[in-house]
Amino acid sequence: MKTCKYRFWAWPWELRRLAILGINARNLDYLFPLNPRSSYHYVDDKITTKQICQEQGIPVPELYAVIDRFGDLRKLPKILSPKKEFVVKPARGAGGRGVWIISNQDNNFFYTPQDQRLTFEEMRYHISTILSGLYSLEGQLDRVIIEQRIVPHPVFAPLLVSGTPDIRIILYRHRPVMAMVRLPTRASKGRANLHQGAVASGINLQTGITCGGVYKNKVTDIHPDTGVSLSGITIPNWDRVLEIAIQFGRVVDLQYLGIDIILDTNHGPVILEANARPGLAIQIANGCGLIKQIGNN
Amino acid sequence: MVKEYRLTLITVVFLVVIGGLGMSLRCYFFKQSRLPPGQSIWRLTYSVDFQVREGEKCNIALPDNTPQNRIFRESFSRLGIWMDIIRNKRTGAREAVIVPLADHTQGQFRAQFDIHVKSNITSSGSPFLKDLSPAGRAHYLRTERHVQTNDPYILNILSRLTHKNISKSQLLENIFNYCAENVIRNDSLPSSDALNTLREGTGTSLGQVRAMLALCRTAKIPARLVTGFIIENQRDAKPQFWIEVLLKKKWFPCDPVNGYFGNLPAHFLPLRCENIELIKVSPQITCQSRFAIYRLIPSPLMFHAHQNKLSNIVDLTRLSPGMQEIVMLLLLIPIGALITTVFRNIIGLPSFGTFTPTLIALSFIKADWRTGCVLIVLVISVGILTRFILDKLKLLLVARLSIILTLVISCMILAVSILDHFSLTPSASAVLLPTVILTFVIERFFITWEEDSLLQTMKMAAGTLIIAVVCFGILGWDWLGRLILTFPELQLWNIALLLLLGRYTGYRLSELWRFRDLLNVTTGGKTS
Repeated sequence: MKTCKYRFWAWPWELRRLAILGINARNLDYLFPLNPRSSYHYVDDKITTKQICQEQGIPVPELYAVIDRFGDLRKLPKILSPKKEFVVKPARGAGGRGVWIISNQDNNFFYTPQDQRLTFEEMRYHISTILSGLYSLEGQLDRVIIEQRIVPHPVFAPLLVSGTPDIRIILYRHRPVMAMVRLPTRASKGRANLHQGAVASGINLQTGITCGGVYKNKVTDIHPDTGVSLSGITIPNWDRVLEIAIQFGRVVDLQYLGIDIILDTNHGPVILEANARPGLAIQIANGCGLIKQIGNN
Repeated sequence: MVKEYRLTLITVVFLVVIGGLGMSLRCYFFKQSRLPPGQSIWRLTYSVDFQVREGEKCNIALPDNTPQNRIFRESFSRLGIWMDIIRNKRTGAREAVIVPLADHTQGQFRAQFDIHVKSNITSSGSPFLKDLSPAGRAHYLRTERHVQTNDPYILNILSRLTHKNISKSQLLENIFNYCAENVIRNDSLPSSDALNTLREGTGTSLGQVRAMLALCRTAKIPARLVTGFIIENQRDAKPQFWIEVLLKKKWFPCDPVNGYFGNLPAHFLPLRCENIELIKVSPQITCQSRFAIYRLIPSPLMFHAHQNKLSNIVDLTRLSPGMQEIVMLLLLIPIGALITTVFRNIIGLPSFGTFTPTLIALSFIKADWRTGCVLIVLVISVGILTRFILDKLKLLLVARLSIILTLVISCMILAVSILDHFSLTPSASAVLLPTVILTFVIERFFITWEEDSLLQTMKMAAGTLIIAVVCFGILGWDWLGRLILTFPELQLWNIALLLLLGRYTGYRLSELWRFRDLLNVTTGGKTS
């Protein structure tokens, strides 16, 4: 392997040559002209996203309940007691904030996949903070989603320490331009968000095979916790993954869109949520710039 | 996209042109508008040094607005002392109360007043209060140590000046003429006593004034002594004295020394009433003082001469010094926002809130940095501690925020009170509001900590701090505040810059670092 001087700095013209999309250009050249404000609510509110998917026959995690008033907190024992495992999340949250995954329930105690024990009171308080708008995008009053917990596809098992991996697909004018699979790490506390410390690997759009990856803005090829290579994993049902992403993209009037899809063992690919302001680390995961990919498509 | 870009550019050009035009027009009018005949601009400076002792107070007379003199700018600096500006309860005169700080033996007080003298206004009036109650009248007729009333010698002079059916104003004129003509001024004499001056027919200027005061009071005409300056070029200005007499419920100034009766020219600047000392100190304090007066050439950045014109609404320099300070602070906030925008959109530095760094910087500019540091550290530590405790109680968001706010404010007030008790806080009031606003950042601070990581929180806190330090450095320049107060059109240029920043699609500096690893891959430097 040839070694050369490690770069601590990239010049703007070098990034331009690699066709890297910066955050200012993303906002001004893509989000503003392609995503009308009036359509943001399709993706900012996860309940609306779910409804759209259901209308279009796109599979989504099963919705157990929606809590939209503090008064509904009384019904909480009735809602939660029959469910062994479930996910609690804010309808208008972002960046995985406020999402609680419960993998087991026993004697009014809830257990997370990391074996953290939560009391019923803690759960009730968390739900009330979501309702207050603590995690909502604009800090407004929010609704709480209680939905099915997805069982991740075994293809990711060697890479997993905890949490659920998801696939992020960027659609430009309803066509997929870039994709990556995001895998939770110990540092990300089971979340699949890159800025919280998750690791991601780029996916070849044609073959559905992973190659390379990114961890904390650095190019990597191995999972930081398991040490397993991130490259060479063939995503099962890849065509179906792309198909549901395109199908969803066509319905909402957003032409630059990030769609998060989870591979469920039993139901195959399901849409978890969509993002009208998708992040840019996907470029490091794929080792190439978005502007180039957009040009190629 | 091209359309928006072109529209932005047109708006930018429009704003720059309008702003430039506004400033040019202002400069043109400044040049055109010379001071009307008889008006002038002067600067009065105070330089007072004390050998202080704890617990001793000192009181310095300050100039105030009169119909003829307007203080349009003033500044103070002090060392080793605490200062407050008050109004004398009895006379209404403006005074600076000076208290030495603990552990300080030396004190220094410097002040500068820029005064617009309007000689074309003839009525001088009195800036001091009047007390028309029987007790007040008795006060204006009292005998003092150096102003002896009802003395046989003084009664004898008065009997010569009065006759049957003489009116009070006629009698006053006789007294004035007597003191102006029969008392020869000799400032080298030690005596400045009313009786001695009248007896010997000669005395200092103070003696001459006291002689007239004693004669007026003996004639039952209420009168009081005024100390002030005569505004003229003087390197070492000495206080001057004159009296005010109450006739028909109005105060009339009389200066037997310079021969002014019933009205004074505009260059007489009253400072203190019923007292001859401009600086009142306890005997334990030794003090050296020097006053200087010199004429200033009016410049557009300093003072705009037009008065009472509707067009002056756009002239912010006409506001009172106190109001100017507030307006200047408000005008600086958009400049702080511009700095924050540069940091966020060009450099890519994260921060808590858009205006937080500006508010922190402004709170430091208006207070000394020690008070600012104490209060900010207090707000953040009390806020986070409270937030941790409240987290256990599981409260709803708004109630929780309100409790944090209440506790933060209570602790801040307590801290200010403690600092004040130890005379450590010269200007805590200015930092209070901006720091209270920080309370709302605490919630975001806590959530970032809980949801992301301590590292991310620290990064954002460091970003906020860096932007605040830069804002402090830039917004702290006095000339910038003055410039923006004189040329508020600069805000249009600020908007133009913000528009350009708002259309910046280049990489952020942070992205040059963030995406650097892609180059390591493409150049083969990274294992894969």
